[in-house]
Amino acid sequence: MQSSSSSSSLCAIVPVDCIFNGSNQLAYPCSFNLGLLKGSRNLKVSRLKAGFWESIRSGLIKNNSTQVIEPLSNPQEEEEPLPEEFVLVEKTLPDGTIEQIIFSSGGDVDVYDLQALCDKVGWPRRPLSKLAAALRNSYMVATLHSVKKSAGEEANNNKKLIGMARATSDHAFNATIWDVLVDPSYQGQGLGKALIEKIIRALLQRDIGNITLFADSKVVEFYRNLGFQPDPEGIKGMFWYPRF
Amino acid sequence: MAVVGGGYHFSSKLQTLPPAVQILNAGRSSINHHHGHRRRRRPPTPPIFISTNLSHVNPVQLRDLYSSCNHSCHRFPNVFPDGRVEPVDVAKLRIAISHSSVVVSVFASLPENLDGGGGGDWYRKMIPVTPFSGQLVGFGRAVSDDGLTASIYDVMVIPSLRGRGIGRMILQRIIRLLTNKGVYDIAALCSDEEMEFFKACGFGDDILGSTTMMYSRSGNDDDMVKSAGRKLLMVPPLRKS
Repeated sequence: MQSSSSSSSLCAIVPVDCIFNGSNQLAYPCSFNLGLLKGSRNLKVSRLKAGFWESIRSGLIKNNSTQVIEPLSNPQEEEEPLPEEFVLVEKTLPDGTIEQIIFSSGGDVDVYDLQALCDKVGWPRRPLSKLAAALRNSYMVATLHSVKKSAGEEANNNKKLIGMARATSDHAFNATIWDVLVDPSYQGQGLGKALIEKIIRALLQRDIGNITLFADSKVVEFYRNLGFQPDPEGIKGMFWYPRF
Repeated sequence: MAVVGGGYHFSSKLQTLPPAVQILNAGRSSINHHHGHRRRRRPPTPPIFISTNLSHVNPVQLRDLYSSCNHSCHRFPNVFPDGRVEPVDVAKLRIAISHSSVVVSVFASLPENLDGGGGGDWYRKMIPVTPFSGQLVGFGRAVSDDGLTASIYDVMVIPSLRGRGIGRMILQRIIRLLTNKGVYDIAALCSDEEMEFFKACGFGDDILGSTTMMYSRSGNDDDMVKSAGRKLLMVPPLRKS
């Protein structure tokens, strides 16, 4: 599985591939070149070995050994999660208007709408530029919009942001879910659950297995019901305290 | 201060360090390091080269460092009977570090016998360490959205060079790079052994009292599962209304 530096690189990162080429310009002793050549050979060998370790690993699994492992053989694994958009819920209101709740991942989020939503749930305000940067550099941003169509009218662009969740990741092993929020008037309908499950699904399909989040005490039960465990096996989250 | 051959100068400006700095400890006369004014009794640090340049990272060398530190990228790795964790997949490692906002690597030239400060290897301290001639002895990385939050992963130093302030240096470099970007919400997941290290470097429980949670639901026969180390995680089913 060759990795190409994706277009959403955070900064001007030189692809690691390049150190395997063009080493002749270096003035350093050739032990470095030997190291490089050895390196690329090791890489090929390690790919062969990977299958070997897989077979050992499946033999090592002690508990829950009744699992049936179904590897997902989706061909779309290489790129970012494919942006999805679909109607999650549709219902007809008493006055005849149809309300659709649309799930979307990978779409653009208006930071002003997001800030208004954060105000609604009572979160402290954060600088808009930082919010925009955070959304841009997140691995996945999942949103819920409500679209209302009055009976007998053409679709009016009455799209309102009512929920969001985002995850940052290194695209290989770890992911952290931040900023999960649902408009208070839409809470209690399973919308937050749908957001989180979608994100987990997208992460697991990319084999990103360490999914973490930092839950406020009021929502620990909510996440427990979704399959999250607090402080599993003694793993704790610690935060940096600036010392001035 | 002392000028070392090869054009590397020891900088006496301790406040602002250039991205790649060589720290020299001349054994007997201990020079004041930027990270430790406390005069703690610890063995002298060999000359090291600390780099935040991604192109200095060799994934295979890095994989070997993970193995020598017995560290895994999986939170709950498979462990062989002798206690070693399964080796890291190099391809996935490359992807992971290419998507990490901050990557810090520490190189040192290790003598065969690590009794440090012996009369014989004074010359070793004169030869500048470079990422190409030195051995990778320490590493740390952070994943961030470059705006609000960051998470630190995989901070490690080889066992023979622990307790000399290298890990703390790595962590402080990561933090400085993150705060330069304006990110102050920095988290780190740690096990019991690592907790002391992070506490000593200025980490603590969340001010807001949040609980750290990890997805650990395992599935049964009907579900789709994905393996993460030794855990088999259930993939939430697709539900369309």
